[in-house]
Amino acid sequence: MSEAAYLIGLGAAGAAALLGATLPARRRVLGAALLSSAACVCAFLAAGQVLVSGHAWSAHSAEVLPLTGVSLSLDPLSALFVAAAAVVGLAASCYAIGYAAHSAPSRTATAMLPAFLGSLLLVPAASSVATFMVAWELMALTSLLLLLNEHRQRKEARDAAQWYAAMTHVGAAAILLGLLLLATHAGGQTFAAIAAHRGQLSVALRSAVFVLTLVGFASKAGAVPLHVWLPRAHPEAPSPVSALMSGAMVNLGIYGIIRVGEDLLGGGVLWWWLAVVALGVVSAVFGALHAAASADVKRLLAYSTVDNIGLILVGVGAAGALAVSGERLLAALALLAALFHLVNHALFKGCLFLGAGALQHATGTRDLDRLGGLARRMPVTAALFGIGALSISALPGFNGFASEWLLLESLLHGFADHTDATVVALLIGVAALAITGGLTAAAFVKALGVGFLGQPRTAGAASAREVAPSMLVGMALLAASCIALGIAPGVLLPVLERATASGLAVRPPSPLRAGLGLDLAGVSGAIEPALVVAGLLGALVLAWALVRLSARRSALRHARTAEAWGCGRELQTARMEVTATSFAEPLQRVFVDVLRPDHDLEVTHVAESRFFPQAISYQHRIDDGLERVLYRPVIDAVSAWGRLARRVPNGSVHRYLAFGFVALVLILVVLA
Amino acid sequence: MSAGTELDLVELTAGVVLACAVVTLWRRDLRALVAVLALQGVALAALAAVLALHTGDVGLGVVAGVVLLAKGLVIPNLLARVVRRDPGSRETTPLVNVPASLVAAAGLVIVAYLSAGRLTSLFPSPVTRLAPLGLATVLVGFFVLVTRRKAVSQIVGLLLVDNGVALVAFLLTAGVPLLVELGASFDVLLVVVVLQVLATSMRARFGHVDLDQLRELHD
Repeated sequence: MSEAAYLIGLGAAGAAALLGATLPARRRVLGAALLSSAACVCAFLAAGQVLVSGHAWSAHSAEVLPLTGVSLSLDPLSALFVAAAAVVGLAASCYAIGYAAHSAPSRTATAMLPAFLGSLLLVPAASSVATFMVAWELMALTSLLLLLNEHRQRKEARDAAQWYAAMTHVGAAAILLGLLLLATHAGGQTFAAIAAHRGQLSVALRSAVFVLTLVGFASKAGAVPLHVWLPRAHPEAPSPVSALMSGAMVNLGIYGIIRVGEDLLGGGVLWWWLAVVALGVVSAVFGALHAAASADVKRLLAYSTVDNIGLILVGVGAAGALAVSGERLLAALALLAALFHLVNHALFKGCLFLGAGALQHATGTRDLDRLGGLARRMPVTAALFGIGALSISALPGFNGFASEWLLLESLLHGFADHTDATVVALLIGVAALAITGGLTAAAFVKALGVGFLGQPRTAGAASAREVAPSMLVGMALLAASCIALGIAPGVLLPVLERATASGLAVRPPSPLRAGLGLDLAGVSGAIEPALVVAGLLGALVLAWALVRLSARRSALRHARTAEAWGCGRELQTARMEVTATSFAEPLQRVFVDVLRPDHDLEVTHVAESRFFPQAISYQHRIDDGLERVLYRPVIDAVSAWGRLARRVPNGSVHRYLAFGFVALVLILVVLA
Repeated sequence: MSAGTELDLVELTAGVVLACAVVTLWRRDLRALVAVLALQGVALAALAAVLALHTGDVGLGVVAGVVLLAKGLVIPNLLARVVRRDPGSRETTPLVNVPASLVAAAGLVIVAYLSAGRLTSLFPSPVTRLAPLGLATVLVGFFVLVTRRKAVSQIVGLLLVDNGVALVAFLLTAGVPLLVELGASFDVLLVVVVLQVLATSMRARFGHVDLDQLRELHD
């Protein structure tokens, strides 16, 4: 039943790609979107059945791929990732209908979106090395093509595509190498065969495999320092694609780490997981800092993806480390928290990217410094983006709070572990969680305040209109899930528990008690978000009522009203408002050594006196410092090699022929 | 025909094939090159015919006919037509001069003999021992490709390589299947036609058929 639904879903995604490629221009977007929505629904039902019943299935077909065949299997861990991708995919497909009216996507783009979606559903279900790599590369190629959608208009898109192609290729090569190494030594290329033979592998070999695959999966997940493609690619991709990349594709990097590290290699050694925690901590802090400093809304969201992936990695690493030292309950709790945060991140980041797309759609820019006043002009988008922003800032009543609370609890309880290194790692993880919480809140106060409140700063922002209903429906689906999971996180717990159990090498006890809220079993800690929300709402209503009551009797009756974020002034012009850049300035000053901003201040004086400036121009940009330090030298070296190598082929046919001839004679001489 | 005479004939024809290849390095007149190529094609066909008579294989006999037709007649005629359009054209300044080319050819023959040992040891027989001749023809043909400037010389070099490959095939496997030989011949014919068109259009556009001048097309 689940198997059939899943296969129908894949077929529908393929059919959608075919329709997108063949239908005439007016119908293809709608046709592809409807079919890919159907694909998502089927895949979601299939994954849901596996998650609810806990019964995994597997299927093998020798016909589809030559030599190796295709092996698919859906266990609860895979099903969780399929379900997350399906939800984001459904929203993005729906959104793409309205989005197409604005961006007029090419035939290729229309066909590639369902293909990309199909590959996202396929990767977690792949259960052999060959199937996995084919699906993985399909995902990379389709997303690359989607990224190149606007390459004619924008040089940045080409740049981003180059970075993405290079990073994803290096990553795929590392994964391929690691998995091939594993398959050769384990005597089989299906995951089941590898898992069955893992006991015979030496620790050195397993460590080599883990490190290789970690490099590949971390580059796909966007973990620092392999994140450089992400803040370029996510902003340049069309918004439904950004949502899918950020909400579903990066997750698969995490999936890969769990699948290989826990399932295939069986948990392994402590330092593996400490390395994962370290990656996570660096990513979380670095991503949050850059998100807080970015003025481009999609770049901000992209860096915030790096941040959240970092938090998830901290959880996964903590789970692995705790499992190695035998703390099965705590390990299960940490992995559950990580998976929960991953699902939540998919939901709110998908919603936010779709919202950012709506902003761009309505105003023509993604630069927060050119927006403003949109809450009045596009109220529904503003509300939905706001829900996403509150969720990601982990406010109570929204899903980000539930998972970050759980993550924090799991890290704090992990201090009971008896390995010093683990305790130190968890301690640093807690600190990272705390600092990123603050920075994320700052980043999204900026996005919401500067972008949506106050007065419009440009004509584009002033003439913005609410976007098409299909786009709003896409966002609303994700926003509603954010609220639902925020108020009643307990409903997802049984599902997450099954995924956690199939993710960990050792079968853990259940870490949570059933209920609507979160109630830890075995260790102390419980929270009921529904009650918190009820309390907060009650307090709000009470405060409002008190103000209204006192206003009857006091001068407050004559209170003036002014724009929010207008500093209470009535004669406020847009130029007097706080901009995104100025909002981030204090933070930037504090973290100047990490962010290394480039300023360019030019003052032109009037001819008569130096004391009267005529014009002041200020330019400001923040480049990725790690990119400058780590990647520039490599790129420079490679291009130097390239220039050197270009001298060899000088255009002479004879020289080219001579290369072949000399090579042939040399080979013959060597063989003789 | 006794077995000894047959072997002598095989040795003779195979030797002629290699000798023709070396002669293309020596002669500069393009008409002579084409004539030598025709002779080589005939020698190759003769070799196939002798082998066919020896084994009584009808298919191989047909192959001999195809080889004679394609490599002895059609292809040389096509090339002669290109040369006739440009009478008196010579390979004036090859990248490696003639005496040095001949010395290099000697070296290549030695390399061929040294390296063919592994091939012949698979199935040692008086006929397979001649395989180095074919390999040497391939190498000399490649050498012509690398060092000669005119487009026609290039085509001749390519055909030498092809003839060398055919020779190795005849000697080692005692005949190739008809289908393979037909396919290969047709392929070569097509290549020659394409190169002929290319050479003609090169002359029309650049006024010469010197490949080295194409370097300017490099980006």
